[in-house]
Amino acid sequence: MTTLERLQALLRNELDLAPERLAPDARLEDLDIDSLRLIEILFSVEDAFAVTVPAGADELRARLVTVGDLAAYIDSLLAQKANSAP
Amino acid sequence: MRRVAVTGVGVVSPLGNGIRPFFESLAAGRSGVARLSMRFEERLVCRIGASVSGFDAESLFAAPRLRMLDRVSQFALAATAEALSEAGEVFDGLDLERAGVFVGTGMGGARTTDESYFTLYGEQSDRLKPLSVLLAMNNAAASWIGMEHGLRGANLTYSTACSSSAVAIGEAARRVASGEADVMIAGGSEAPLNFGTLKAWDAMRTLATEDPEDASASCKPFARDRSGLVLGEGAAMLVLEDWDRAVQRGARIRAEMAGYGLCADPSHITRPSVAGQAAAMRRALADARMSVAEIDYINAHGTGTQANDSVETAAIKEVFGARAHAIPVSSTKSMHGHLLGAAGAIEFAASLLAMEAGIAPPTINLRHPDPECDLDYVALVARSGVGIGAFMSNSFAFGGTNAVLIGRRAP
Repeated sequence: MTTLERLQALLRNELDLAPERLAPDARLEDLDIDSLRLIEILFSVEDAFAVTVPAGADELRARLVTVGDLAAYIDSLLAQKANSAP
Repeated sequence: MRRVAVTGVGVVSPLGNGIRPFFESLAAGRSGVARLSMRFEERLVCRIGASVSGFDAESLFAAPRLRMLDRVSQFALAATAEALSEAGEVFDGLDLERAGVFVGTGMGGARTTDESYFTLYGEQSDRLKPLSVLLAMNNAAASWIGMEHGLRGANLTYSTACSSSAVAIGEAARRVASGEADVMIAGGSEAPLNFGTLKAWDAMRTLATEDPEDASASCKPFARDRSGLVLGEGAAMLVLEDWDRAVQRGARIRAEMAGYGLCADPSHITRPSVAGQAAAMRRALADARMSVAEIDYINAHGTGTQANDSVETAAIKEVFGARAHAIPVSSTKSMHGHLLGAAGAIEFAASLLAMEAGIAPPTINLRHPDPECDLDYVALVARSGVGIGAFMSNSFAFGGTNAVLIGRRAP
């Protein structure tokens, strides 16, 4: 499974959303993901992908506009983790 | 001052969810007290409590919402939904700035706090749920109720221990009476049956000893062999409304919220005093402009502790004089346990339903009378055919905030 597919599955579970609403260009805002929901989702992302999300809510909210943005951000965290591994 | 109507009542309780099952249990003298089961239960000195069963939170709330709701808020929202369905179209044509929410709770989101501490100290993990603050904060229940209905009037949470919800109801009624609000949702909610909270109560040595033959019979208010209180959980909410408005819209007025007496007892943090309890009862009567002759039923605070029950008996005698022995006085805590911050609300609801049915609920488990407690406590079985024109509901608290409510039959 790609990161995007894993993220879509996670969002489906967390938010009771139909899969067709979770296209990469779907805006988080349109999925009712406000700053609180985003923090909740990132908590689950940390568990599911075994990564640490370093940034605060406001910064992330500005950077992460769509489902695709979030998947790409997770990929970047996974890459950082791989690079820093001993 | 305007008259205040009670046009809706809702209950989630250890005796059933909804006012009908709740009152059927009360009238049947059924106990909601049982052995609790939870993590670390073997470490509890008092392993009994009155828990809510058959409450299906998953079917009441969508999963994303449910994750934001501590059990205390779930109870409050469910009780509010019932109260509002009873009240009919209460918000139609109303400027929602004239509608508010007052909730009483002693311990707020105690379950969330307990789970968080278990994560931190028990599991040695830093993975606290990101919304823990929002679940645990004491005003969460009131806020969710206000948000669900878009109410922009005062939204307050009262925390005066065991009188919290009596205070919330009394203060809300005053807002309606003064004309500041036309509709108030008021009541209380409590969900204290978690290991950490129970251990704190254990440590105070104020909880009942489990009855060796029947755990459900462990709470024995006014009995010689009473050994303490039994904690319970649940919520009760009322819709309070400007009387004239309720009449105009053809609402079913279930009672008049007639009187509220409040006083502080500054003598001791826990020990009740006859003077303090009597003062609150007198103030409620004065507020209602009623005489003791008009009160036909008293729902006692009746915790089942040695200290409260004899003091409350003496206070009732001081206020009611000769009439004290002629009024049925019951402690429904014998059945639903002590709901702490929700106690005043659930006992007001019990009293209101008793008035409607003409049935005085019993004080169960009162088999061995205490010479110091010599009133008519409706021992063991409910009494029907009791004409109740008005009732008094007593709530006395650790910390000394005593609150008494009086409800009167709607003409």
